[in-house]
Amino acid sequence: MENGDSLPAAAAAGGRVRLNVGGKLFETTVSTLQTAGPDSLLAALATRSSNRNDDDEEGEGGEPVFIDRDPEIFSIFLSLLRSGRLPSTARRFSSQELADEALYYGVEGQLRAAMSPPPFSGIDASVIATVRPASDAVPTAFSAGAGDGSVWIAHGGQISCYDWGLAHVGTIRTHLDAVTSLRRVWSDVAAIGSETSPGVHFYDAASARRVGSVHWSDPSDPRVYKARVAAMADSGDSVFASFECRHRENCVLVIDKSSLRSGSEIGRNSGNSAKSLVPTKLKFIPENNLLFGSSVTSGAFGCSGYIRLWDVRSGDMVWETNEPGSGRSSRFGDSFADADVDPEESKIFKVCSKSGDVGFADLRRLGDDPWVYLEEKNPSLRNTGTGGGGGGSGNNITTLLIHCYRKQVFVGREGALEVWSPVKGGEESSVCENSYTHRRNYVDKEEGTSSRGIISRMEGGGERLFVSREDVEGIEVWESSNFAGAIPVS
Amino acid sequence: MPPFSGPCAVAQEVYMKKKKKSQTNVVTLNVGGQIFQTSPQTLSLAGPSSLLSSISNDFSVLSDHHFIDRDPDLFAVLLSLLRTGNLPSKAKLFDMQDLISEAEFYGLQSHLVSALSNPSQFEAFNLEKSLILPLNGRDSPSAISSTPYGSIHVAHGSKITSFDWSLHKKSTILTQFSAVDSLLSISPSIAAAGATDFNGLQILDLEEGFVRETIYWENQTKSSSTVQAIGSSPQYLFTSFESGRRNSNSIMVYDLCGSLQPVMEIARQEIYGAEIDSALPATKLEWVSSFNLLMASGTHGGPFGMLGNIKLWDLRSPTPSFELKEKVDCFSDVTVSNSLSAMFKVGVNSGDVFMADLRMLSVEEPWVCLGQGRRVNGKKEGAGSKIQSHGSQIFCSKGGDVELWSEVLMGSSRTREDGLRDRVFRKNSMGKAKDMGGCKITSMCFGGNKMFLTRKDQQSVEVWQSP
Repeated sequence: MENGDSLPAAAAAGGRVRLNVGGKLFETTVSTLQTAGPDSLLAALATRSSNRNDDDEEGEGGEPVFIDRDPEIFSIFLSLLRSGRLPSTARRFSSQELADEALYYGVEGQLRAAMSPPPFSGIDASVIATVRPASDAVPTAFSAGAGDGSVWIAHGGQISCYDWGLAHVGTIRTHLDAVTSLRRVWSDVAAIGSETSPGVHFYDAASARRVGSVHWSDPSDPRVYKARVAAMADSGDSVFASFECRHRENCVLVIDKSSLRSGSEIGRNSGNSAKSLVPTKLKFIPENNLLFGSSVTSGAFGCSGYIRLWDVRSGDMVWETNEPGSGRSSRFGDSFADADVDPEESKIFKVCSKSGDVGFADLRRLGDDPWVYLEEKNPSLRNTGTGGGGGGSGNNITTLLIHCYRKQVFVGREGALEVWSPVKGGEESSVCENSYTHRRNYVDKEEGTSSRGIISRMEGGGERLFVSREDVEGIEVWESSNFAGAIPVS
Repeated sequence: MPPFSGPCAVAQEVYMKKKKKSQTNVVTLNVGGQIFQTSPQTLSLAGPSSLLSSISNDFSVLSDHHFIDRDPDLFAVLLSLLRTGNLPSKAKLFDMQDLISEAEFYGLQSHLVSALSNPSQFEAFNLEKSLILPLNGRDSPSAISSTPYGSIHVAHGSKITSFDWSLHKKSTILTQFSAVDSLLSISPSIAAAGATDFNGLQILDLEEGFVRETIYWENQTKSSSTVQAIGSSPQYLFTSFESGRRNSNSIMVYDLCGSLQPVMEIARQEIYGAEIDSALPATKLEWVSSFNLLMASGTHGGPFGMLGNIKLWDLRSPTPSFELKEKVDCFSDVTVSNSLSAMFKVGVNSGDVFMADLRMLSVEEPWVCLGQGRRVNGKKEGAGSKIQSHGSQIFCSKGGDVELWSEVLMGSSRTREDGLRDRVFRKNSMGKAKDMGGCKITSMCFGGNKMFLTRKDQQSVEVWQSP
């Protein structure tokens, strides 16, 4: 080396690498390439060339390393490794191209980190895309279970898989004609069920084949026959599926994830009254190892239903509420239309069918009437009733849905989407039993609320919220994107 | 390990020869494989905290060319910026966010800001409606405020959304307000907010979304203190409070440079009986730096029309230096222009713009009508109009349009007996024909080289800038 005083080790670590990618010359440092991670092609190149520098007096004065790939995409990845952010030139390529090329160089992790949307916030979200399968595109069920922003959609007996970049990975056809429950239980295995056909079926999306089936059977009871799936949830090692027979006999079956065999039964019901119908919503609460289940039916006299919590290990029910009926409810005649549990906050949220109000119950303080009803301070947003003129408006039952995600509560009222976000700071929030812990805001715009269609399902996944609407093709993807900035006036 | 890798151990021969010929007043940089040559003087312009000036200092010791592991094309743009102070036209080929993050790496953000969003580049006659900043949700903006270099905060519903100087959305936070009525940005990330239905003035951190401080005004009735207006001078923060029972009001002065300690209280009014005039809290506060005065104005709409008053306060004296009661054609909005040394109002009945020269204020007949002086026809032509001064122009909104008033300097106009000339003002409508009209303008503000507008029922902010 020319200036022999400098430490050879330091020179090697900060040593320079010249690369010839598809005919274009790039010069960078070993340390930049090494940020790609030890297993990547680029890090391998970096170590190779730094080793060569040590042995070889000519160092990087020699031939640059030749890589036979597209230089433009490489320059994007080089910028990404240098600065940690994706340059705007990345927009010239589809996310599929970028992902494929990133796989080649081994920088997929960096690309994913740079492309992932900012933390999802309901007060600042917009529809960034509508994922629309090619055929039979009205979704019957979907699952955003993997938590990386990917979504699997069931439509017309098919399952279409979209990855974290919302790129179409593949579509498989199942033997069911109407998949009404879908849960992604392994990274490439989906559990599906139908209201018209019995059993839970496990499909491997990569090989497009059925890898297992579970039916509810009870040798001691001949009525348990051809039970169909109403709802599913999963924990780290089990899948929970609520089954219902023709005679409305129902239970939640615990299915072992690794062997795909059925285990214990939870909460078996006869199904002869509203209190013993099959749970139509299941959710697992990992903190307390509890399973949340709820069921709602609406009839001529309004909604009726129950919320139950089961201990998964013992299978015992630890808490239940029936509406109307049980407890000393402060809201007589205003039973819930939908409920959901927020495991992060340890709270159950419900939306009332008549008033449209949102109430919550703290899981640590459940009792006869644990409900605290949220109130909005803003007078123009206080009236949650959508039935017009303070609720109770006869037979027009509005479709209400509630979904908890990222400590926020999303409520779908017919076609409108609103969010209750927790208020940070302030003296009021020190009191837990308070109606002013959340603020209400609309997520969507006013225009075309009625024409967009009634919200049929919401689910959060990654930094996204997926929304499907009745009889509308495709799934809306909501994100808090900061890139949806200024729009030029043409 | 930083990408800047120190002196190059093995240099290419060509550059070695070149280097030997030229003396040390040429710095050779290798950025991502491309060679750049510049002078240490140019690099030192980057400022002491910048990476580049550290190279120019370093250079005298280690006379070898430097390798910086960054994108060479973006560096070329930033080097031209450093050389000329302007962004080269080829910068348009690059994405602004790429340039900003690259400038951050080299420590050149301030150069980029002053080249792109400098208040001195504001050209009132050359503004075009150019961008729309969309806001999510269903709430229309209730208040906006910008910083001198053009960051903007927008309050809509219970939320405040912030955009940085390049109009890139930075954050949306949830506040405790149901709607923010007064908003004032103290820095690109801190704002003061208040509302007429909320107790206290809140100092908000808009990046993290928390309340730094809530400031209350102690009034005699021990009721809540609602905020009617916020203003600032380089030194002070002014807040007009009204008690919750609406029987007293005051303007509090806080130290803006320190920890927002109250410095003094001016214009305290307690209301006894039915005296309407003292019941008017100030709803607009503007600092007049050339005269060291605070303009405070308030109006009241009663059965006999609008009443209002305008007071000019010298902070050192307990009584206003000047007080004007408005009864006939009361102002719908009023503003003070520093560079024109004049106060401007838009009359609520006539919709005309009036001027009062601050150098010769008279209580009897202060206003000079700048328009045609139309006869008042009973309609409230100027209701809801906003007037705002920026630079040496006056911007007045009429419905969905903006009028731009500017002074025409006449070389040979006659001088009046009081030594001041008759002043000539002329108006223009802003924007091209296709930009005219639209929903009613609800607020205007200025920052950097831009004008920001909000309109009724529009969930967006309109940006006007020079092409």
